Parts: sequence; C-alpha cells; structure tokens
Amino acid sequence: MQPAAHPSSVLKQKDLELARVFAAYTISATAWLVFATFIGILLAYKFGAPDFGSGAWLTFGRLRPIHTNATFYGWASIALVGLAYYVAVRSCRTQLYSVRLAWVGLWLFNIAAIAGTIALDLGYNDGNLEYREWPWPIRLIFLSALLVTAWNLVGTVARRTTDDIYLSNWYTMGGVLWTCIIAVVAILPWYQYGLGQVAVSGYYMHNAVGMWFTPLALGIFYYALPKLLSRPIYSYALGVFAFWTNLVFYPIIGSHHFLFSPLPWWLQTTAIVFSVAMLVPVLGGSANFLLTMRGRFGQMRESYPLAFIFVGVIGYLVGSSQGTVEAFRSMQAVWHFTNYTVGHSHLTMYGFVNFAVWGCIYALLPAATGKYPGQAGLALHFWMALVGSFIYVLSLSIGGTIQGLNWIQGSPFIQSVVDMGPFHVWRGVGGILMFLSHVVFAWNVWCMTYGPSARAAPLVPALARDDTA
Amino acid sequence: MEHQMAGPLFGNLIIIAMSGAVTVGCFVAMFWMLLWPGETDRCHPKYDILRHDR
Repeated sequence: MQPAAHPSSVLKQKDLELARVFAAYTISATAWLVFATFIGILLAYKFGAPDFGSGAWLTFGRLRPIHTNATFYGWASIALVGLAYYVAVRSCRTQLYSVRLAWVGLWLFNIAAIAGTIALDLGYNDGNLEYREWPWPIRLIFLSALLVTAWNLVGTVARRTTDDIYLSNWYTMGGVLWTCIIAVVAILPWYQYGLGQVAVSGYYMHNAVGMWFTPLALGIFYYALPKLLSRPIYSYALGVFAFWTNLVFYPIIGSHHFLFSPLPWWLQTTAIVFSVAMLVPVLGGSANFLLTMRGRFGQMRESYPLAFIFVGVIGYLVGSSQGTVEAFRSMQAVWHFTNYTVGHSHLTMYGFVNFAVWGCIYALLPAATGKYPGQAGLALHFWMALVGSFIYVLSLSIGGTIQGLNWIQGSPFIQSVVDMGPFHVWRGVGGILMFLSHVVFAWNVWCMTYGPSARAAPLVPALARDDTA
Repeated sequence: MEHQMAGPLFGNLIIIAMSGAVTVGCFVAMFWMLLWPGETDRCHPKYDILRHDR
C-alpha cells in the first residue's frame, strides 16, 4: 500500500499536470499559427505574381481555405481552449476534471486540422461554405474535440470549491457549448442546398467568430486583466449583461453577409438592426475593460502582456463597431465582395483575437510554468505584429473602398484590379511583418515552456498595486 | 425595383420597432451599469478572485 501523499505534494503534482496541458496546447497552437500565416504569405505573394506555384496544390483556391481553417481551428481554437482550461482551474480553485480528456481533446483538434489541411490541398473541399470547407467527416472530428472540451470544462467548473462561477467561465463554457450547436447545424444535410444553405452559411461563418473566438477571448480577458493589474473588473454585472446580450443579438446577424440576396427581407433587416444592437455588448465590454485599466495605462511601458491586452480591447472595439457600420445596406453596396471585408476580418481576428490570446498567454503561461520570455522578444513580437497588422488592415481598407467605388461607377473590372496593385504590395509588407512576429512568438513560447527562461522573476507583479483592500 | 428591394413597409416597421425597443432598453441598461457599477461588497466574486486564487 502506498503511503498517503501529502496534500501539498498532490497539489503540486496537479499544478504540474495543468502546466503541461497548458504548455502543450500553446505549443501546438503556435505551430499552427506559424504554418497558417506562412500560407498567408504565399497567398499575398500570389496577388503580385499570380503565375507563382502553378501546381494544383499551390493554387489560390486550395491555399486560401487552408490558411483560414488552420488559423481558426489550428491556432486560435487550440490556444483559447488551453487558456480556458487554465482559467477554469484557477478561478474555480479546483483541479482539471480530467487531464486525460484534455490530451484527447488536443489530439482530436490536431487530427482534424491535419486531415483538413491535407484534404483541402488534395482538392477535397466542401465547396462554397466559408470556414467549413473541410469535408464533413473531418468536421465531425472537430465536433468531437469540441464535445470533449465542453465535457471537461463543465466538469471542472462543476467541481469548483468557490460559491460562484466566476464570470470568465460563463464566457468560456458558453462559447464551447454554443459552438457545439453551430458545428452540428453546419453538418445537417437538409441545410446543404438552396436558400437554407445560404442562411446556414451566414449563421456558421459569422458565429464561428462571434460565438466561439469572441466569448473565449473575452472570458480570458476577465481573468487575465484583473490578475495583471491586481484590481477587480470595473463592473462584474456589466460583464454578465454583455454575455447575455451577445447571446441574444449575435446568432442572427450572420445574414448581414447576404444583403441583397434572395434571403427573406425580414431576416436581412433583423440582422441589420441586431448588428446595431451588438454595440451594447461591444461598447459595454470595451468600456468595462478600459475602465478597469483607468489610471494604469502607463504600466504598458513595462508590461507587454498589458499592452497586448490593451490592443486586443481596442481591436475588439474598433473591429466590432466597424462590423456594425458594414452591416448597413448603403455601406454593403460599396464594400461587398471587396478587399475591405478581408481587412475587417483581419482587424477582428488579428487585432482582437490574436492580441487577446498573446496577451493572456504572456500573462498566464509564466504563472503556470514559472518561466518567462525576454523583454526584447516581447517587444519585437508586439511591435512587428502591431505595425504589420496596421499596414495590412489600412491598405486593404483603402484599396477595398476604391475597388467598390470602381464597381459602382461601372468601370471595367480590370480597372479595380490595377488600382488594387499597390495595396496588394502593402498587404504583403504587412503580412511579412506579422509572420516574422509569429516566429518571435514561437521563440517566446519555447522560453516559457521547455526552453531556457529569460529571467527568474516576472516583471509584472512588481508593477501591480493591490486595489482589493 | 426600389420598392421591391425595400420590402413591405409595415413588416419592416414592426421588425424595427420590436428589435429597436429591445436594443434601446439594452443601451439604457448598459449605460446605467457603466455609470453606477456598485459592487462594493468585499465578498463579491470579483474581489474574491484576486484574494484567494492559489
């Protein structure tokens, strides 16, 4: 019979297991980030040199969905789930419901992403269904990864030793459960043709962002920001209110991607009105984060995790408000089908979600592993990503508007292609900076996990002032 | 063409009135919580998370 382990050593063992899980999810996600954005560089290059890579497996039609799906389901999904596990355990003062399930989930996410990438490059594509181009059996693997994650996350929160379920867990559990529903609806065979397909396509592709990445990223914000500042969130109730308004307003607004289409007019109108209503959780949520940071903005000079989170909040505010403006029919008449939309999607997925993930990883992973990235690495990552994404979004926003105005004026299509030329070059310049920043991030992740820690103690706690007393 | 694209006026008005009322109500609630956050009880979970997290 084994002697009973000392409670503190059991706790240490559990913490170690959690750190390993968190590190594995982050490393895996980072590998997908580097891969997906390398494909993005190839795509950007092909705008200037369309004849480059003439083989079927290097065509734009195959590489584009590889880039988007690997970013969504390889990078962002895996990174956010790793963070969600850590936050659930810490905020509930408990242990992971099942370490084994966490590993199974990680394998399933990766199997789906690898199989999906190979299938797309071989030309197996489910067609015109944005962000769900993977053949449906592969999407079933992704769904099983979601179900495993949902079970494990809910199980962890159910075993909490706290009275309340902290706000972050509302967002993360909600996000995972909603996405299970979205993923099931996307597979239902009777929605794969006709107008039903269009409606579900809008429902799926928009909700894959707003009901998956957004709630998870916001949920992690609600934990990481108070921890970084040693200061509670400005308004907890507003966080809860934003959660419910996001749930009420968001699911139906995907139809604003199909204005002027044969979809029922009432559906399009409702999507526009609720796109305006989305300003409630967006403005309320952003103001909540910014008011939590009030008087502490200067700390960003020393704390890059805080700077990443600040940019993420601004990205959420600007990107989502821009989405509301884009939803109006008069605006869609100019921007629909143009590169402006590509700029918008990068402002939200990159300016908001990526910066949120990076800030929270830099804030929380060192607390789990006890290892820290160097200040130079953090600075390089931050500035290259910020400047790169700024160039990228600005060039596509300006170029896309010119494109749309060309079409409205009835100019020959080729005129809009010629006018986009310089903006495609700037898009490539921004993309290269963004990609290089990801390589630096990979090095930083290595330092925070299995590589050499850049320093023995965190810079951040020294900055924090206890506002709880 | 314009009339067809605008859809039935009465239907649009009903949709805008209903969803608009919900939207305006939520805006009021949001500003209320921003201006008067309250939550001064030290046992509130938002303080708890900072004190007892291991």
